[in-house]
Amino acid sequence: MSTTAAPQVVTPPASGLGPAASPDLGPCPSPAAPNSRKLESGPSQQGAHRGAHHAAAHKPGLAASAAKSPMGELALRIEQRAGRSVAAHQYHRGALRILRPHYLDDSGQVCYVLVNPGGAYLGADLYVIDVEVGGGAKLLLTTQSATKIYRTPGSFAEQRMTLRLGEGAQLELAPDQLIAYREASYRQDTRITVRPSSSLIIAEVVTPGWSPDGSSFRYEELRLRTEIRVESGSGADSGLLALDNVLIRPSGHDVTGMAFMEGFSHLGSLIVVDPRVDQALADELHAVTEGHDAYAGVSLTSTLAGTTGLVLRSLSNSTEELNRLLSACAALLRKRWHGQDPLNLRKY
Amino acid sequence: MLNTATNSAAPLASAAPGYQLALQQLTDSALPTGAFAHSLGFETYIERGLVHDEGSFGVWLGAFISQQLTYSDGLAIRFLYEGVPVAELDSMLTAQLLPRQLREASIKMGTRLLEIGDEVFPSPELAAYRELVTAGRSAGHQPLAFAVVARSLGVPLPEALAAYLFAAVTSLTQNAVRAIPLGQNAGQRLLRKASDGVAAAVERVGHLTPDDFGAVSPGLEISQMRHERQRARMFMS
Repeated sequence: MSTTAAPQVVTPPASGLGPAASPDLGPCPSPAAPNSRKLESGPSQQGAHRGAHHAAAHKPGLAASAAKSPMGELALRIEQRAGRSVAAHQYHRGALRILRPHYLDDSGQVCYVLVNPGGAYLGADLYVIDVEVGGGAKLLLTTQSATKIYRTPGSFAEQRMTLRLGEGAQLELAPDQLIAYREASYRQDTRITVRPSSSLIIAEVVTPGWSPDGSSFRYEELRLRTEIRVESGSGADSGLLALDNVLIRPSGHDVTGMAFMEGFSHLGSLIVVDPRVDQALADELHAVTEGHDAYAGVSLTSTLAGTTGLVLRSLSNSTEELNRLLSACAALLRKRWHGQDPLNLRKY
Repeated sequence: MLNTATNSAAPLASAAPGYQLALQQLTDSALPTGAFAHSLGFETYIERGLVHDEGSFGVWLGAFISQQLTYSDGLAIRFLYEGVPVAELDSMLTAQLLPRQLREASIKMGTRLLEIGDEVFPSPELAAYRELVTAGRSAGHQPLAFAVVARSLGVPLPEALAAYLFAAVTSLTQNAVRAIPLGQNAGQRLLRKASDGVAAAVERVGHLTPDDFGAVSPGLEISQMRHERQRARMFMS
């Protein structure tokens, strides 16, 4: 076996594949020389304790959109004061607003409702949301109505959201469902930084967006990318905990069948990060899914700086069924960890 | 009557690139990484009765190639070749492989490949990755262990990608032949068909962006997650 007995260490050839992605596409901060390339950007490089300054906290996902002026901006910083969580800073501009805060129970958790007065996201719209929940503070963030993505010819609508949770901070993100209509393209880029003792729950439902002729999945593309980092005090075991990247592109190929949407139309995801997340909890939440008309799976992330993530993914044919399932899971966590009753949002 | 061609020996000796046999060894299904123990989610489809013959397994395999192997493994290999630090890619894979058994499978097979690679194809790059794993700073994922070795052997990226993807496809097909079960010839027909999918995936990997990394279909992920709770099972994933 003469030719391979002493393998040579050689400098690898450059990519011989087709045109590689230009380095300024995607979350790659610098088109640097290949050997110093970094793929990641995001909050961890920017420190956890900055004030809540909108827009700048988020590096652009695409060079083209960097030049876009946001259609709507929202910044919110919640702090814990005298047993209640209150807004220490809030800012909004353009087509994003928040309603007056509510307190739904006596836990001190403040509830803010996000409003898009325009009612929908259109082509090339950029929305920038920056939320910080300070140490020990508790925020419930929801929306007034479904996020609707209409036609975005030759472009895409985009939401960039940065969430920062302090030590012991609690954030529950429960937006209404996302509906992408015919010829819609949408990118949702969410960057989350938690501390080891933070508690995070995100529940999200994506619908297939029926078109006028009654068929579904007529949108171009949906991208929902969520990156969760843990920052520990020492910094030693800080790092990326979870990268949840949902990409559905019905325009490219059939997404409805086996090993994709499995014949279902709606997608629901629950992401939980908390130091109390463990296998027993994952099993318990899996048991909750079995009482619902949904095809669902639950799994744990690895553990980083003492905290663990849990992802529940579910498919069904109805928004209501997925909302019931995700609410039931959230209710279990609210009760157990925070002594709170199930969420009852009476909107409108 | 000896009718020997006098000058055939010289061109034969230099016909194959120097890494070819090494690449064959690395991608041989007999390489003891434990791939025989992983269905990477297809066992869930068998249990649901959705994968039950050559045709239905072919559909699953096609989706697995165009999703998991393209957006996760394949893209990680390309990024490594493009100079992204292995430690960064390692943590991205750990974070992106949300189904626990899939993540553990990648680490288990990756750790074995690091050990084997260190004995048979040692290189400073491989030693550095092993050290990160030994120190607990990296997990040791299969596509990265493969890419580090292949790159150090001078295997060009398209060949490395095609070899890795086809090796994964071969293991999965052999496992399906045992589990469904299928005939040996059916397995070979599946492999021949899958090679077109592999070629398309290699092409595709070259066009993806960093934002595409880890974009695996919800159905595959759910099935991989559900395997954790499947009662009777042949495979670890």
